[in-house]
Amino acid sequence: MTPIFENLWEHYIFWSVVVSLVVFVWLFHHSFWFTSQDGEKLPNVDDLKLGVFPKHNDDMRLEVAWTVLPFILIVWLTYYSWGPLDAMWTSPDGGVHGNECEDGQSSNNRMDSAGIIESDCYHVIEITGQQWFWSFDCLELETTLCDTGTDSMEVYGSVPVLSLKKGETYLANMTAIDVTHAPWFQHLGTKEDALPGQQTTLWLPISDTMTTESMILCAEYCGDAHSIMAAKLVAHN
Amino acid sequence: MRISRKKRLLIGLVLVISMLAMPSAQSLPGGISGVQESGCNCHGAVPSDSVAGSIEGLPDSYNYSEVYNLTLSFEGGPSQPGNVNQGGFHLWASEGELSILDATTQLYNANEVGHTEAGNDQTSWDVIWTAPATDRNVEFVLHVNSVNGNADGAGGGTSGDMWSKVSVSLGGPIEILEAADPFVVLGVLILVTFSLLVITLAYVFYRKDPDSFDWDNFSPWLADWLTTTDHKKIGTLYFVAGLFFLGVGGIMAMIIRIQLSVPGNDFLTQDQYNQFFTLHGTTMIFLAAMPMINGFANWMIPLQLGAADLALPRINAMSFWLQPFAALLIFTGVFSGHGADTGWTGYAPYSVSEATHSGTTMWAAGQILLVASSTLTGINFLTTMAVMRAPGMGWMQMPLFSWSILVANVMLFLSIPAFGVGLIQVYLDRVIGTAFYDIAAGGDPLLWSHLFWYFGHPEVYVVIVPSFGIISEVIATSSRRSVFGYRSMVYALAGIGVVAFIVYGHHMFTSGMSPTLRFVTMLTTMLVAVPTGIKIFNWLMTMHGGSLVYRTHTLWALGFLVTFTLGGISGMFFPSIAMDTHLHESYFVVAHFHYVLVGGTVFGFFAGIYYWWPKATGKMLSEKLGVLHFLTAFVSYNALFWPMHRLGVWGMTRRHHTYFVTTEEALGSLPMEAAGWNMFITVSGFIFFFSNFILVFNMIVTSIRGQDAPDDPWGGWSFEWMTSSPPPAHTQYKLSDGTWGLPTLEDANEHIANEPGVMGRWFQRLMVSDEESEGASN
Repeated sequence: MTPIFENLWEHYIFWSVVVSLVVFVWLFHHSFWFTSQDGEKLPNVDDLKLGVFPKHNDDMRLEVAWTVLPFILIVWLTYYSWGPLDAMWTSPDGGVHGNECEDGQSSNNRMDSAGIIESDCYHVIEITGQQWFWSFDCLELETTLCDTGTDSMEVYGSVPVLSLKKGETYLANMTAIDVTHAPWFQHLGTKEDALPGQQTTLWLPISDTMTTESMILCAEYCGDAHSIMAAKLVAHN
Repeated sequence: MRISRKKRLLIGLVLVISMLAMPSAQSLPGGISGVQESGCNCHGAVPSDSVAGSIEGLPDSYNYSEVYNLTLSFEGGPSQPGNVNQGGFHLWASEGELSILDATTQLYNANEVGHTEAGNDQTSWDVIWTAPATDRNVEFVLHVNSVNGNADGAGGGTSGDMWSKVSVSLGGPIEILEAADPFVVLGVLILVTFSLLVITLAYVFYRKDPDSFDWDNFSPWLADWLTTTDHKKIGTLYFVAGLFFLGVGGIMAMIIRIQLSVPGNDFLTQDQYNQFFTLHGTTMIFLAAMPMINGFANWMIPLQLGAADLALPRINAMSFWLQPFAALLIFTGVFSGHGADTGWTGYAPYSVSEATHSGTTMWAAGQILLVASSTLTGINFLTTMAVMRAPGMGWMQMPLFSWSILVANVMLFLSIPAFGVGLIQVYLDRVIGTAFYDIAAGGDPLLWSHLFWYFGHPEVYVVIVPSFGIISEVIATSSRRSVFGYRSMVYALAGIGVVAFIVYGHHMFTSGMSPTLRFVTMLTTMLVAVPTGIKIFNWLMTMHGGSLVYRTHTLWALGFLVTFTLGGISGMFFPSIAMDTHLHESYFVVAHFHYVLVGGTVFGFFAGIYYWWPKATGKMLSEKLGVLHFLTAFVSYNALFWPMHRLGVWGMTRRHHTYFVTTEEALGSLPMEAAGWNMFITVSGFIFFFSNFILVFNMIVTSIRGQDAPDDPWGGWSFEWMTSSPPPAHTQYKLSDGTWGLPTLEDANEHIANEPGVMGRWFQRLMVSDEESEGASN
C-alpha cells in the first residue's frame, strides 16, 4: 500500500467511524428505548387508520439538516480526494512529472507528506498485455534505468520481470493484443486497462522507499489463465 | 400508410428466404463457419455415404499438451472404370492446436487445416494435433472430398464429386474425468431442488383434498397456473422462480467458496470457475433478484393502489413466461461444460473472442429475452400506477413501496435499451460475424463497457430501491407511526433514480476512459450519499417516539439498517479515485456489493416476505423459526462478507480462480493469515446458505399447520390490509360501511388529495384524462 492510499484510507476510516457511530448509536438507542411489549395496548400517536393516508410526520429543519450535513461531508471528502488526482493524471508534458527525460537525465523524484510524488522528468516504457502474459519493452532506455527478463516463481512458474530504478519515474504506454487486460501494480496501488486497438497510459513513479520486489497481477478478467497472468516488478538501486 | 399487396408479398418472401438462410450459419466463436457444413470449400456437391473418411492416430483420451500425429484418409466415392479416386479434405478441431507437416497441407488457423494445391490429388494426408493443456471435450470434424474422373473436362474434373463428413469426440485424461465434476454436482443439486419443489407442490395439492388426488383433478389446476393472468398467481410464480434461482445461485456461490477455501486449490479448474462466477452473477441479479421484485410488485402494487388487477394482465403473463425460457437459454451451455465464461459484465472484446465458450451465445440470447420481459413489466406497472390508483390517491398519497416500484421501473425502462442494444451487438458478432467489437475491423473496446454500465448502474439501484420501499413500510408499521418525512422520502427515491444515470463512470475509473469524464463521475458518485443518507436518517427518525413491535420483519428491517449503512459507507471509498485504483477489481469491491445486494436487497426481501406472507397466504409464519432464521443468517452473513474488505486491501483479486499466500514480505502478495480468513469465510458462507432453509422450512410447515392470519395482522394503513387474507382472485376490499368493493382513499392531512403538485400536473398531461377516454368509449 502506497502512502497516498494509506493517507486517504485513514482519513476515510475516520469519517466512516464517525458516520457509523452516529447511525448505530441512534439505531440501538431507538430500538431499545421506543419499544412495546406484547399484550400492551399499542399507542397510536399518529392516529393511523386503515384506508386513510396517515398524518404527515415531518420536520423541515431536521430533513434539511440531514440533507446538508452529508452534503458538506462529501464536499470535504471530494476536496480531500482531489489532491492526489493531479499526480495521477498529470498530462505527459509539463505536469508534476515534468517532460520526457533527456539522455542521461534523472527523474530525481521525491515524495511529499501526503505521499504525492513529483519528478523532474520521466522515462517512457511500453507494456503489452496478451492472453496470458505481459510483455515489457524498455525502448531505448539503458539497462541501468530499465531492464526486462524472466524469473521463476514458486507458484506462478516462469514470469516476466520488469526492473525499474528507484528514484525514477516512468510513463507506461499500454496496449493489448487480443482482449482487455489490466496490470495491477500492487505496491504502487495502481492499475489501468490495457485495451486492444487503443493506447492507455499509466504513471509508475518508483520512490526510494519502494519495496524491492512486488507483484503485477491481471485485474481485468481475460479468460482461462487470468489468475496466473502475473509478472514481477523489481525496484533496483 | 398502406402497403401494396406486391410489396407485402416481397417482404414476406425476403423474410422466408432470410429464415431459410439463417440455419446455414453456425454459431461458433468465430462467426460464420459454413465450411464445416458444406464440406470441402472448393466443391459444392452432394454428401454421400459411399465416401468413408477416417482419422487415425487419435487416442481414446488425450494427455495434456501431448503432440499427436494424425493420418487423415478416405476410401470410396463415385466409381468409374479406369479412374482412381482422389480428392481433398478439411479438418476442424474444437480445442488444441493443429499444425502441418509438409506442403500438401495448409493451416487456416489453429483449429482448421486443409489440403493445398500440391496435396489436392491424394487419398491420405498427415497433420499434427497438439492436445489442450486443460481438460476439455474435443470435437473433430473431418470433411473429405472424393473426385472421380480427374482427366475429364477442361476445368480439371469436378464431375463425379462426392464428399462426406466424419465427427470424432475425444475426452481429456481419464483420472480428471473420474474426479467429482462440479458441473455434475451443480446439476444434481439443481435437479434435487427442483424435485423437492415438485414434491412439495404435489403434497400441497394432495392436502387440499386427499380423496380427489388424481390427474383429472390435477390437470385443470396445473393448466390454471400455466395460463393464469391473475396478478396474484403470476406474483406467486415469479416468487417461486426467484426463490428457486436464489437457491441455484447460492449453490454456485458455495462451489466457488469451496474452491477458494484454501490457497492453490484445484477443486475447480479456472475454466469451470469462470463459468461458475459468470452464472452466479447473472443468476442472482437477473433470475433471483429481479423475479422476486416482480413477485412483490405483482402481489402488492394492485392491492396497495386499491385496484382489482394490473392494467395489462396478459402482458404480465407474457413477461413472466419469458423468464423460464430465458433461464433455460442462459443455463444451456453449463450442462455440457461449455457455459458462458465472460463474467456477468460480459466485457467485450473478450465476450466476442474465440477464447470464450459457445455457451456465451446462448447466455446473450437468454438475456435479450430478459430485456424484453423487463420492458413489458415496466410498461405494465407504470400504466397501472398512472391510471388505476383508487379515487383520492394522488401521486403523493401512494404508499412508499408503490413509489419505489415506480422509480425502479422508470429507471429500468430508460436504461435497459442500452443493454439490449449491446447484447444484440454481441450476439450478432458471435453468430453472423458482424464487427461491432472486432478490434481488427475498427470495433471499439470501450463501447460495451459504456452501454453495459449505462444500464448496469441503474440496474443495481433497480434491485435495491424496492427494498427501500419495503423497509419504509415495515419500519413505519412496526413503530406504529407514519413514516418520517414522507415527501422527502419520495424526493430521495426520485433523486436516486436521477443520480443513477450520471454515475456509471465509476465502474470505469481504471478503464482508459477520458480523465475528464472520470472526474465528473467521481463528483456525481459522491452525490449518491445524499439521497441515501436522507432515507437512512428518515427511517431512524420514524422510530423516534414510536413503540417498536418486535416481529421477524422488524428484526430484518433493523438488520437491513446496519448492513446497508455499512455497505453504503464502503461504497464511499470508491469515488476517491486515488484509492479506487488500488481497490478496483479487488475483494473490497466484492465485499461492498455483497453488503448492498445481500445486506440491502435480500434482507429487504426477507423483511417483505415475513411482512406480507400472512396477507398472501392467509397463514401466519412461525415467529420462533423467524427469529432463529434472522439470528443465524445475520451473524453468518457478516462473518461471510466483512473479512473480504481486508482481503481486498491486501491485494486479493476478483475473478481469480485461486490465490497464493506468501511469507515473503518482499513480494507483498497475500500474507499467511489470508488463508485462514478465506477458510473462515467459506465456513460462514455455508452457515449462511443453510440458515436460509429455515425460512423455506417455516413456509412449508406453517402453510400446512399454521395459524390463520387476520386481515390486518400488523396494523398497516394501506389498502392491502383491507382485503381478506388471502385476497380473492378479483380483489375486493372491505369498505368502512361493511360492504365489499373498490376503496377510496381518505387523507388525514389538510391538503386536498386530488390536487396534484407541479410534477403531478406535468405527469398527468401525458395521460389521457378520464373524460376523454370515457368519451371515446361511448
